[in-house]
Amino acid sequence: MPMTRRGFLASLAATVPLAVIVRRAHAAAVEHVQGDPATLDALALTLLPSKLGRAAIMREAAAFRDWATKYKENAELVHGYGTSRLRSTGPTPLTRWTSQLDQLDADAQRLRQRRFRDLSATDRDQVVRDALKNERLDRMPPVVDANHVAVALLAHFYESPGAADLCYEAQIGRQTCRPLAAQASKPRPVLKVLEK
Amino acid sequence: MTRRAIETDVCIVGSGISAAMVAERLARTTAAKILVVEAGDDTVPLAQRAAARERFLRYNENPWGRDHLEGYDVEGPLQSRSMQVGGLAMHWGAVTPRFSPEDFKQRSLYGVGTDWPITYEELDPFYQEAEELMGVAGEQGPEDLDPRGKPFPLPMIPLTYNLELLKKWASSAGIAMWSQPSAKNSIPYRGRPQCCRNDTCSPICPIGAKYSPDFTWSALRRANRITLTTRTLVRKLVLSPDGKTVSHAVAVSSDRPDQPVELRAKVFVVAAGYAWSSHLLLLSAQENAPNGVANSSGLVGKYLAGHRNVQTIVELPLRLYPGMNEQHSLVTKQFMRLKAGSEYVRHDLRIWESSNGRAPRLVDDKGALMLGDAILDDWRNRTKTGTARVRAYYDVIPDRASELTLDPARKNAYGDPLPKLSFRDAPESVSIRARTEDSIRTLFADMARAGNGRLLRTPTVDNFQDHPSGGCRMGSDASSSVVDSWGRAHDHENLFVVGAPTCVSGSCANATLTFCALALRSAREMEKGLPQAATTRSGGLE
Repeated sequence: MPMTRRGFLASLAATVPLAVIVRRAHAAAVEHVQGDPATLDALALTLLPSKLGRAAIMREAAAFRDWATKYKENAELVHGYGTSRLRSTGPTPLTRWTSQLDQLDADAQRLRQRRFRDLSATDRDQVVRDALKNERLDRMPPVVDANHVAVALLAHFYESPGAADLCYEAQIGRQTCRPLAAQASKPRPVLKVLEK
Repeated sequence: MTRRAIETDVCIVGSGISAAMVAERLARTTAAKILVVEAGDDTVPLAQRAAARERFLRYNENPWGRDHLEGYDVEGPLQSRSMQVGGLAMHWGAVTPRFSPEDFKQRSLYGVGTDWPITYEELDPFYQEAEELMGVAGEQGPEDLDPRGKPFPLPMIPLTYNLELLKKWASSAGIAMWSQPSAKNSIPYRGRPQCCRNDTCSPICPIGAKYSPDFTWSALRRANRITLTTRTLVRKLVLSPDGKTVSHAVAVSSDRPDQPVELRAKVFVVAAGYAWSSHLLLLSAQENAPNGVANSSGLVGKYLAGHRNVQTIVELPLRLYPGMNEQHSLVTKQFMRLKAGSEYVRHDLRIWESSNGRAPRLVDDKGALMLGDAILDDWRNRTKTGTARVRAYYDVIPDRASELTLDPARKNAYGDPLPKLSFRDAPESVSIRARTEDSIRTLFADMARAGNGRLLRTPTVDNFQDHPSGGCRMGSDASSSVVDSWGRAHDHENLFVVGAPTCVSGSCANATLTFCALALRSAREMEKGLPQAATTRSGGLE
């Protein structure tokens, strides 16, 4: 019988030092989320605005996967202002998030005896709401601070320049290279900006 | 232990923006051999900055790598831990207002603080020189409030659509505002491209449209006009037996810590910012200077200056589009000049576009979770009106006990005590603080009212004294200052301290351009004792 991801992690824990476990756990999580993207894709379809269209939602899910898999632990963060204290990135959130994706599947099985990706939109919505019942939701956090993968996916999308353009229905293009002279004019309207 | 010795004409300690100004001018006007000594590493090359910026945007990673020395956790509000070629100006916002004429004669005009030994008019040509070296884009403000001898070298950064609306709003409140001067290219300049609104000026411009000192260093290195030695920490300035001059500096390279380096020069320039300049002078205590070099007045490390700010967010019935150019702002100097007979309250005022209070959210007003289209619909509804960030920096008159001292409890890897910082208002400043902050709060409320808006949050005061300076204040009297108006130490004829440390007060505006102008003025004085260039050079910047 092939070893499950959880089984693999448990066996690692018994034999190797913590730092090595963390590194291997991240690698396993990366492999998991890249090798089986369907649950995350289904989650994106549940969470992101339908106005984007399916293709753009899939691109957003892929962009989030890319963010998560390229995260580096213990990287120096931007220096604080007015302090000599240095800060670094923490442990990868991806291992937690992949477990939560597994949990969504498990919850879907309990509800309808199906995988999360195979549920109806209404049922997916219900499973996600149940999963977030005990989460702190008073604000949209930075992606890295999101405890739950659903919140992380939302945060990743809503902090993007594209999301702002969609909200304002205008070609703002925040933090992208744009002609300086054009800033004097009202941004041009944008229709279905992400539906390429 | 063998000592390696290096001989030069000018030894500049530090490679930040003031050091770059001095080196550029001396390279242009003299034939002097110039050595620049930097404790940190070389900075991230321009070609790698786009990728570094991406990591910053995605993960908040420091785009400048590991730009610090290990073991330098100091007590007190150090402005930044960065130490690298280019210094803090690698990640500055490039906001470059001048101080106002009143800043230089606060005691004469208003009866507070201390007059500088120079006037605004004397500094004007050096402001201009700094603006031309960096490429400052600016809009001429009202000439009585914003006097200048010559026009800005670059046309102003155009106002965004948002800032045009906000300028009208300010005008309705009786406030004339204009485009904040910035060392960002509004047109291509000196081989660097035009700004294209990447909008991450601080901490990193990915294309080099923002001036940073590395451009000057690269040009001077290419032209073979300087030697820039990195990873080399200057630990001590050693005086001649009579104490009148600095004979040499003792440094250590991180790569060969067992072999000290002796730096010999005709002129020594301490250009290590407000913290590390005073720190080095204090560390250099020796038999004929028991309290540290240049410290017969006992004022090295004293009178650290800066300014606090009051800030709020104003909601306005305007359709704004945050993200057009969030780091650019409007500014006015209207409140930097007191009306006749009024009480002392001085501050600047600036306005930025903002997305504050308009972020997307996960739960609605009733606390119900939103998913899918509901979040976007809610966000759209809440962004039909806009918000503006409004901030006023106000004067803080520094106290003698606003100081940098040596911390006996913390030492670096070589056993040298680290600095300890503590900012303190002078008693006269304490008494005007509440009045100033109240006045600014009232102004904000009046502005909101004038625009049919409201304060989205109670104005907050940032207790950190921003844009710090001082520690080696300039003056005409050797008993009440460390250096003269040229930055020359009263105690040692071949020692200059330049830029931030020499400031008498911190004004209520960003101070970097003033540091640069002061450094260039110091360089002009240094030229007198150095071999002159056969012809004036460009310094390799073109």
